Amino acid sequence: MKKVRVIVASLFFAAMTWVFVDFAGKSPEWMRHAIPHIGSYAAIVVWAVLALLLGRVFCSFICPFGILQDVIGRFVPKKWRKHHYSKPYNWLRYSLLAICAVFLIFGIATPLLALDPYSNFGRIAVNIFRPLVMEGNNGLNWIALKFNNYDFYNITIYTVTTLSFLSALVVLLLVGAMALLRGRLFCNTICPVGSLLGLFSRFSLFRIAIDKSCTKCGLCARACKSECINSKEGTIDASRCVACFNCLGKCKKEKAIHYAPVWGLRVKPAMTASTASAAPAMTTDKGKRSFLLASAAMATTLPLIQGCVKAVAKEIDTTKLTPITPPGSVSLQHFKEKCTACHLCITHCPQQILKPAGFEFGIDYAFKPHLTFYEMAFCNYNCTVCADVCPLHAIVPFQDKDEAGISKEKQTTQIGIAQFDKSLCIVFKENTSCGACSEHCPVQAVRMEPYGDSGLTLPHVYDDLCIGCGGCESICPVRPIKAINILANEVHQRAHAPQEEEVKEVDADALDFGF
Amino acid sequence: MERREFLRTTAALGAAVLTFDKLAAVAQAGKLSVESTPDMVAVMGGEPAVMLQRALQEMGGIDKYVKKGQSVVIKPNIGWDKTPNFAANTNPELVGELVKQCLAAGAKKVTVFDHTCDNWQKCYDHSGIEKAVKAAGGTIVPGNDESYYKEVSIPKGVKLKSAKIHQALLDADVWFNMPVLKHHSGANMSIAMKNYMGIVWDRGVFHSNDLQQSIADICTYTKKPALNIVDSYRCMRRNGPQGKTPSDTSVLKGLIVSSDIVAADTAAIAMFNQVEKMEIAKVGHIALGEKLNLGTQKVDKLNVKRIKI
Repeated sequence: MKKVRVIVASLFFAAMTWVFVDFAGKSPEWMRHAIPHIGSYAAIVVWAVLALLLGRVFCSFICPFGILQDVIGRFVPKKWRKHHYSKPYNWLRYSLLAICAVFLIFGIATPLLALDPYSNFGRIAVNIFRPLVMEGNNGLNWIALKFNNYDFYNITIYTVTTLSFLSALVVLLLVGAMALLRGRLFCNTICPVGSLLGLFSRFSLFRIAIDKSCTKCGLCARACKSECINSKEGTIDASRCVACFNCLGKCKKEKAIHYAPVWGLRVKPAMTASTASAAPAMTTDKGKRSFLLASAAMATTLPLIQGCVKAVAKEIDTTKLTPITPPGSVSLQHFKEKCTACHLCITHCPQQILKPAGFEFGIDYAFKPHLTFYEMAFCNYNCTVCADVCPLHAIVPFQDKDEAGISKEKQTTQIGIAQFDKSLCIVFKENTSCGACSEHCPVQAVRMEPYGDSGLTLPHVYDDLCIGCGGCESICPVRPIKAINILANEVHQRAHAPQEEEVKEVDADALDFGF
Repeated sequence: MERREFLRTTAALGAAVLTFDKLAAVAQAGKLSVESTPDMVAVMGGEPAVMLQRALQEMGGIDKYVKKGQSVVIKPNIGWDKTPNFAANTNPELVGELVKQCLAAGAKKVTVFDHTCDNWQKCYDHSGIEKAVKAAGGTIVPGNDESYYKEVSIPKGVKLKSAKIHQALLDADVWFNMPVLKHHSGANMSIAMKNYMGIVWDRGVFHSNDLQQSIADICTYTKKPALNIVDSYRCMRRNGPQGKTPSDTSVLKGLIVSSDIVAADTAAIAMFNQVEKMEIAKVGHIALGEKLNLGTQKVDKLNVKRIKI
């Protein structure tokens, strides 16, 4: 049983990690689209049903964050891997679950963003693992280039901010420490998905139970990373059991502990947590201590975060006070409510223009992606990748794609409007040609119009055509504040589609050279 | 006739004595022609690959420019994520044909790149150029990252004194400049001289530092292209350099080949003027290029071979 679990978990973990670090779009398309749905709201229903049947198999077989903790746990030498039964922190885990649920009912995903395992795994994978993979790629590219091989390509990392990296690192260290010391403490105390599935797994059809032949040797409890086996009482807290099956192979009597349907159990299982209240004081103390330790560690990082906020606040461009949300995200309100900042879209944006926000747009936008335009990077006219990968429909997929994958709806989604400041423009200031902004406009919303009488042209923005892709802003050579900037639409609008102009029939065969 | 060319012709003749077939082949390749190579060849009315074959033949054959074992770079315009019917990028068939010819001439390696404006993978893919280059046996390499570019000085530049140029071009023995003929909102026209902006990394400097002068300046970089091959099979008449819809383009079925970059641009604008008005004076970099001795606008003073297919 355990072997099956390890194999299935490894496969899911590998696929999930691949999809999250896949900066070059090399993962198979089906995988890229299917795997993230593990974290979708619809999938929770499936995991709940599964929990009702088989227990919390999601937590051990599928959940990337759970599996990550198991991987970290393996770093503890075998002889030190000793767990003890501990009491559940019911009050804490159910209040966190309740907070998440209540906020979700009102359409706010922020608490979930902070706690849910899928988003946390995403942020760790995208902000810590992905840069490592990218730098590894650059190293390989460097070697390949020595042999005149261009199979790799160099890539500069633009989408990891100090804040996104540090916050992911803090979570990784805290959860890693919990995993090293107390196994699945996170899953049974903080994780809202774990707590929710626990409510179902209490009544699961299949479960692990100890029968009468038990000698109370405690080997199973020692192997239990959920710390939910009370071997003295012979009870197992099914709400916390993550169905890892580590205990099954440890029993000296072989069959005193087993995984079987409720009706097949030789003894009725004791009714879970409530009956398992008489835990030794020692273990609970230890739990409290590590919890306090974790909180203290979290508190020490606060000044760090504040420092980052200050660093971000230094550069202020007035058009950038509202975040530009990805095309398909409907409105700032919608995006704020739905996005849990898993950062999957950040990995897959081929332009690297989706960047995790800091606190500059308020606490309720923290860590969520927003569009930033820098040299040569703007939202590609034909691209719909972010909407395609978002499992939560915070970015709603475009339904009108043709065979080539082109969506007219995307091409006319106005996420913002270019604001042109003539007083900063090169053409106005220096009396020299430029037109870089117009050049980059895919819809000719920024048009160069005659200016003066020396053949110069000056940009003019047609608001109803502009889609806010940022082509103009990205290439504007003016510094530090550019002469053309995208001002976000808080509610996305529909721009006019570019119209065909008159077609000029030319008879190529009758044409002369002209010189 | 140069001595080398004379010797080669004699050797070819000697070999031809053995078989009449070979004599015919040599004659066809234009090697027996006594008139000197023209300064410019303009071809009209054919398909891209056919016109290129003919133009190169008139220019003295590809062997004149590419020697055995040399590494070659071809720099088309692949700036935009557009399909060929937009004429925003060089015709893929034309690029493929040149790759094929270079390899046939014994080139060790033929490398193609552009510093694209939009996402490079999408540009390479949707322009059809990546596919054409690979099919012809060439290599298409990225130009998307600063690490590929090395700083070189531009001693003759007026405004632009140095630039970071793509390593592939710096390393190449010979390179071909292969632009598409199109309207351009910033520089007014984008042809051979403007195509140079795709070999450099920092284009922002061009825009903020007198665009027209900077374009002329970069063309003074010491390593000149063996030939400028202007694709005017389909040209973009307006809304350049990207185009809004394919209605912005016209099929001209033209091709202009010259080692004189100013003359090539001048001739291309003359051809363009037959379908859309554009005063050459507005395309400032051409006159500035002439001033920097990059070539001449007086196309009628040159030995131009015009061919209608």
